Amino acid sequence: MKVGRRRFLRGGSAALVGLSLKTDRPIAGSFVNDSFQMGHMLRDRASFHPPKRIEKVSVVVVGGGIAGLSAAWRLRKRGFTDFVVLEMNPQAGGNARWGENEISAYPWAAHYVPVPGPKAEYVRELFEDLGVLKNGEWNERYLCFAPQERLFLYGRWQDSIEPAVGLTQKGRDQFQHLEDLFAKFRATGEFTIPLELGRTSKFQNLDRLSFSDWLQQQGCDSRLVTWYMNYACRDDYGALAKDTSAWAGLHYFCSREVEEKGPLTWPEGNGWITRRLLERVGDNVRANEMVHHIVETKSGLSVFSGDTEFQAEFVIFAAPTFLAPYLLEGFPRLHDFVYSPWLTANLTLERIPDSRGAEPTWDTVFLDSPTLGYVDDTHQSVRTHIDRTVWTFYWSLVEGTPAQNRQLLLEKNWSYWKEAIVRDLERVHFDIRQCVSRIDVMRMGHAMIRPAVGSVFSEERMRLAHPRRDSRLFFANSDLSSISIFEEAQYHGVIAAQTVLERLHGHR
Amino acid sequence: MGILLFISVLLVAACGLIYELVAGTLASYLVGDSVFQFSTIIGTYLFAMGIGSALSRYLNRGLVQRFVWIELMIGVIGGFSSALLMMAFAFTQGFELILYAIVVVMGVLVGLEIPLLMRIVRDRYQFRDVIAHVLTFDYLGALGASLLFPLLLVPRLGLVRSAMLFGLVNAGVALWSTYLFAHQLSDTRALRAVCLLVLCGLGIGMVEARHITATAEDNIYADDIIFARDTHYQHLVLTRFKDDIRLFLNSHLQFSSRDEYRYHEALIHPGLAAVPVPHRVLVLGGGDGLAVREILKYPQIESITLVDLDPEMTKLFSSHPMLTKLNDKSLLSPRVHVINADAFPWVDSNPDSFDFIVIDFPDPTNYSLGKLYTTAFYRAVSRHLSAQGMMVVQSTSPMFARDSYWCIAQTIKQAGLETYPYHVYVPSFGEWGFVLASFHDYTPPSSVPSGLRFISVEGLPALFQFPPDMSPLPMPANHLNDQVLVRAYDNDWKDISH
Repeated sequence: MKVGRRRFLRGGSAALVGLSLKTDRPIAGSFVNDSFQMGHMLRDRASFHPPKRIEKVSVVVVGGGIAGLSAAWRLRKRGFTDFVVLEMNPQAGGNARWGENEISAYPWAAHYVPVPGPKAEYVRELFEDLGVLKNGEWNERYLCFAPQERLFLYGRWQDSIEPAVGLTQKGRDQFQHLEDLFAKFRATGEFTIPLELGRTSKFQNLDRLSFSDWLQQQGCDSRLVTWYMNYACRDDYGALAKDTSAWAGLHYFCSREVEEKGPLTWPEGNGWITRRLLERVGDNVRANEMVHHIVETKSGLSVFSGDTEFQAEFVIFAAPTFLAPYLLEGFPRLHDFVYSPWLTANLTLERIPDSRGAEPTWDTVFLDSPTLGYVDDTHQSVRTHIDRTVWTFYWSLVEGTPAQNRQLLLEKNWSYWKEAIVRDLERVHFDIRQCVSRIDVMRMGHAMIRPAVGSVFSEERMRLAHPRRDSRLFFANSDLSSISIFEEAQYHGVIAAQTVLERLHGHR
Repeated sequence: MGILLFISVLLVAACGLIYELVAGTLASYLVGDSVFQFSTIIGTYLFAMGIGSALSRYLNRGLVQRFVWIELMIGVIGGFSSALLMMAFAFTQGFELILYAIVVVMGVLVGLEIPLLMRIVRDRYQFRDVIAHVLTFDYLGALGASLLFPLLLVPRLGLVRSAMLFGLVNAGVALWSTYLFAHQLSDTRALRAVCLLVLCGLGIGMVEARHITATAEDNIYADDIIFARDTHYQHLVLTRFKDDIRLFLNSHLQFSSRDEYRYHEALIHPGLAAVPVPHRVLVLGGGDGLAVREILKYPQIESITLVDLDPEMTKLFSSHPMLTKLNDKSLLSPRVHVINADAFPWVDSNPDSFDFIVIDFPDPTNYSLGKLYTTAFYRAVSRHLSAQGMMVVQSTSPMFARDSYWCIAQTIKQAGLETYPYHVYVPSFGEWGFVLASFHDYTPPSSVPSGLRFISVEGLPALFQFPPDMSPLPMPANHLNDQVLVRAYDNDWKDISH
């Protein structure tokens, strides 16, 4: 039988001597932004009403996440305005959605963008537009403030997430060995962001085995090395190393320069970018528009959403690609698109929890926790005195299959997740229950594409990313790259927009 | 009855170990050298327990009554041992003497416990069972205590209250024993009354523990405390020794009234006297009003805006007679506007322009304060600086924190300003540094207000000379995303205070 520390304290020694402990706060909260009901309507092919009105528009962008908004950004930047972005949720942004309370703005999912390298040309262009990059210099206020990250292990903090405390000589050697290997792979120029600009078939064999098998082959099996590699995969791919393609695992470590002064981040995470994009393209974005059908016609495509039939010449499909078979008549079943389920939560803290004497950092991780830790959303504030804050808590459900975990997300109630989160935090922050007043939980069944073994070089994926020349429908979601990051979503959105513009100008 | 009895053995054993751990931990905290402290304390304690065991043979009659008294004594001495030791360290020279005296007395008493208990119960069990049971529970209690102590007691209760909690346990066992062995006692009522008295005393101690620690800690300040308050933002302490008033914020000395004129004259006049026509002045930090006092010596200045985080600080320096005497009621001047706000967001949101800007923040001891020493901050402040204006920054000591000082100078330079570093000697601080900054070349002033005690036109050039032991070091600038200054400052001070 497991007796929580709290109960033990309360019922045991504390009661024995009548010692009064500070009482816990009642914790409010609920599930927020649930969207699986809509997804299940599509999956179950529910019947929808016939359209009541027709709108003619040159381009329809399906999905208002970063890919869709980036396509819109590119279209408008080129002076093209005859398009709509249809977003199923009340709020655009997808994985870059945000929220706000009286303490701080906070992200619902993606919360940073690494300082983009030279290949990420469109990201740099966007950041110049947004004033993040000026005359070759990054705005200091958008770079993550010091101190950036900390890992709690063996009863103490260390100031980076790669374990350094408690390493054996073997572990140290293995980290060094991996670092040398990563440097070599990095130098080949195969692992780039955007992924498409560097990838050739040179290391295709690495896509045929799992990252954990590859690590075994390199003789890297020490406990902390294994933990860290799994952490990286859970964090970026929502999967364990054994469920991740070795090519993708290497991409995580080899696609970026070592010396980064970033990442770029904001209180509302990538929600900040969404907001700036919406300032520019918001007029074209329609929220609460769930596309339920796309049909090819003689002159183009008809997109059915709610009561409206949008008659378009071109469609940019920026929503997750797995939805395509449910929306497009005769679209074949997809095999290489596996998605990882996630859970995020925003915790409102009425005071700063005890951190065993350490100063707060941006990112906090606990060794051996099944969760990914949390981000402090007031960290990017220039205030010197902060007494309340919001933490964004991340949890990719990796044990078992994605389907099992989606089931778990649906079955368990809010109290279950609230308690799981508080218990995880309580291991390090003793007084968390006296600090937290609200926990809102967001469940995402298909939060991010998983770069499973074989998926990076999947023919199915290549085919969708490079449609036939006469096609009128272009896919744009980041899942085309098999990894779910801002840069990939933006790249595919921009490329799709450019292709559409070329085609439009071509036959006019 | 059996199990109850053995549970008291367990509790008693746990208590004994806790006091030993408390003594060892406190000695390590206060004196240092934990290996030495723990070794000698454990050794002495065990040896004293041996003495106690040896002495137990001389106790013959009224064993239960004696056991109850011993428990009560352990409860009182052990329970208050931590508080007593903290006081001893704060108020006496003989910490070690008192430490080992307590350890010996406790050891002897704890050494008496188990032999007495064994003899009390020997008639109820076989000899071999007594030995086995008592020792089993004794060692179990020790395990429990040694786990509870680091995992729960120290982090949750602290040392003072942990000791008292176990004092309560000892006294509880004493009270319990008067029921458990009631038939072996003659006068239980008196004994129980004493037990209750001890329990009450320790209970009050638990509640008042905060004051005990505070009293002991306050004695770290050498002088009389005339004012102490935990404001929402900081721990504020004013002390006085004869005519010397000192202000401490979070235990860091901010000024001594004996020589603060040196600091504040040097902070203000080299810069302000060099501004051709200063009308508007901004002071960031400096809630004590002493810099403002110096600024008010310029009659042409129309308005002074003072931005300080802590309203209690500016209120105190506007109202306390001893302090308004020190700052000449500067904060009450109609030319002064006091704003209580966090400086960085205020600077970001305010549109005004100033001819002289004073930045007088606490040293960059942590990452929060470090934000006020970054290129981003100086850039934001410089947007408020008029073309002919000057800005001055309190920049720690170029002597004790040489890296930090030159890091601050470099940071200001990288924010796009010309810099003119200078330093002065302030006896209570030592050698102290400032950095003047502007958009133009600095020409030292040809006159300063009359009646200054330290700054003079003739003396100015010397302030800008840095001898070799404080001369410039190549340092990177401090940025929000890479606060090299906080690390440098930490290292600088680590080097001189071990």
